[in-house]
Amino acid sequence: MLLNVAAVITLVVTQQTDTTVPVRPGMRLDVDNFGGEIVVRAWNQNAVRVQATHSSRDRIDVGVGSSTVSVKAESRRGLAQMVEYQISAPTWMEMNLHGVSTDIEVDGAQAGVTAETVNGEVKVRGGSGQLSLKSVQGAVTLQNAKGHIDVYTVNEEVTLENVSGDVTAETVSGDISLGGIESASVEVSTVSGDVHYDGTIKDGGHYRFATHNGDVSVSVPERANVTVSVATFNGDFDSCFPVSVTNTSKHRFSFTIGSGSARAELETFNGDIKLCRPGQLHDKRHNDQEDH
Amino acid sequence: MKDQWTDRLSGYLDGDLGVAERGALEAHLAGCPACEATLDELRRVVARAQALEDQPPATDLWPAIAEQIGVSSGAHRVVSLAAHRARRRVSLTVAQLAAAAAVLLLLGSGGAYLALHRSTQDNRPLARRQTGMEPATATIGWVQKTSASYDSAVAELQGALEQGRNSGRLDSATVRVLTQSLVTIDSAIVQARRALAADPGSAYLNQHLADTMRRKLELLRRANTLVPART
Repeated sequence: MLLNVAAVITLVVTQQTDTTVPVRPGMRLDVDNFGGEIVVRAWNQNAVRVQATHSSRDRIDVGVGSSTVSVKAESRRGLAQMVEYQISAPTWMEMNLHGVSTDIEVDGAQAGVTAETVNGEVKVRGGSGQLSLKSVQGAVTLQNAKGHIDVYTVNEEVTLENVSGDVTAETVSGDISLGGIESASVEVSTVSGDVHYDGTIKDGGHYRFATHNGDVSVSVPERANVTVSVATFNGDFDSCFPVSVTNTSKHRFSFTIGSGSARAELETFNGDIKLCRPGQLHDKRHNDQEDH
Repeated sequence: MKDQWTDRLSGYLDGDLGVAERGALEAHLAGCPACEATLDELRRVVARAQALEDQPPATDLWPAIAEQIGVSSGAHRVVSLAAHRARRRVSLTVAQLAAAAAVLLLLGSGGAYLALHRSTQDNRPLARRQTGMEPATATIGWVQKTSASYDSAVAELQGALEQGRNSGRLDSATVRVLTQSLVTIDSAIVQARRALAADPGSAYLNQHLADTMRRKLELLRRANTLVPART
């Protein structure tokens, strides 16, 4: 009964806004939302369409400036609370999306994306250029993107798939999984979680994978030229292929594969480190999960 | 890793080696990725140390120092900052390199924090404010020597976070997540400190502890940028 009453009240106070504005190449989309969600889908029109579901007490403000389209909610009584945005924007349009208790999703962009929320997931498919995705309590996922990539969360996992460019990925409590990566610069760290990397090791590149409590698994392609430094305090090292350790100290050792021109640092304080060939790690993780 | 060449890397960077020794070291470097990597790290640390801005003191400290050590305050020669900067060299052993790299990491975090909080009143003692390079020169027992400034930065950030929590500007779920994450990092710091106490010469443990401490500062800094999110 109470649920029915709540549903009726919700229907009464909910309002839809649907606004479309023309834009020119070079303009940027700024969206600010306290709670709810921001979903942006790229399309091939030089226009931004904003569809919003919100309280009738709130008003959606779509402002068009010389270089930006800004979208935000204004309330007649204090802060606007929950707004569900469905936005269509040109593929070329850079976007700057901010929320607090907000899930953010972007699909099909071909330009830079900044997406930051406090309590919510960030999921981006596509993107090019500067890609900065951040959350505190929420998983962050990036797929099919290229550029300078900076991904951060505090309490959930980070997943990157089919991504090229410089990559920095950090979390505090959560796994970091990178697959299909093409990069000469990768910096990954978590405090409590596993790190998994499957991607290129480019000549002259630099790769760092670090965790405190967790395992590190990295795939090394057959013809890679890399000097690998391995450090673990309480853990083991295992490799799917033979390596010749050249330099050892108490908690660290290194070895060279091929010419050794790239550098890879693999570190875990409490955990194991494993090297395999591309594809083998996925098979092993799959088998491990089935065993559990 | 440490071999016969390791301790000569700093001299090599400074141009202090003779021609024959320099040639032999370069030949060794071509076949020793570990020394090459150490040399790269050393170059980065030196470059960062050299890039640090010398801050002239707000007041001349020398008279008081001279009095304490029994030297005439007029006996010292005044050297211009520009001249000092031009000839500044940083020579480090490998153990010092690890420590210095760790200290520089902390300085980097502190710099970022200070840049974001310029309006924050500086309550540190005057002498510490005037010797901004103090941690960079402390290469032995750096954890102890940087602990005070690190703890001070952490306390200040935690205080600001507490204010955000008390004022209701951060919701309870976010505060809970941040608190749990700080506990996670603190636990890692404790483990790293214990390991380092048992093996103080380990470059990995020095670096790992510094990284983990930096993570805590970074998390607190980020948390404080969230505080005004609902205002």
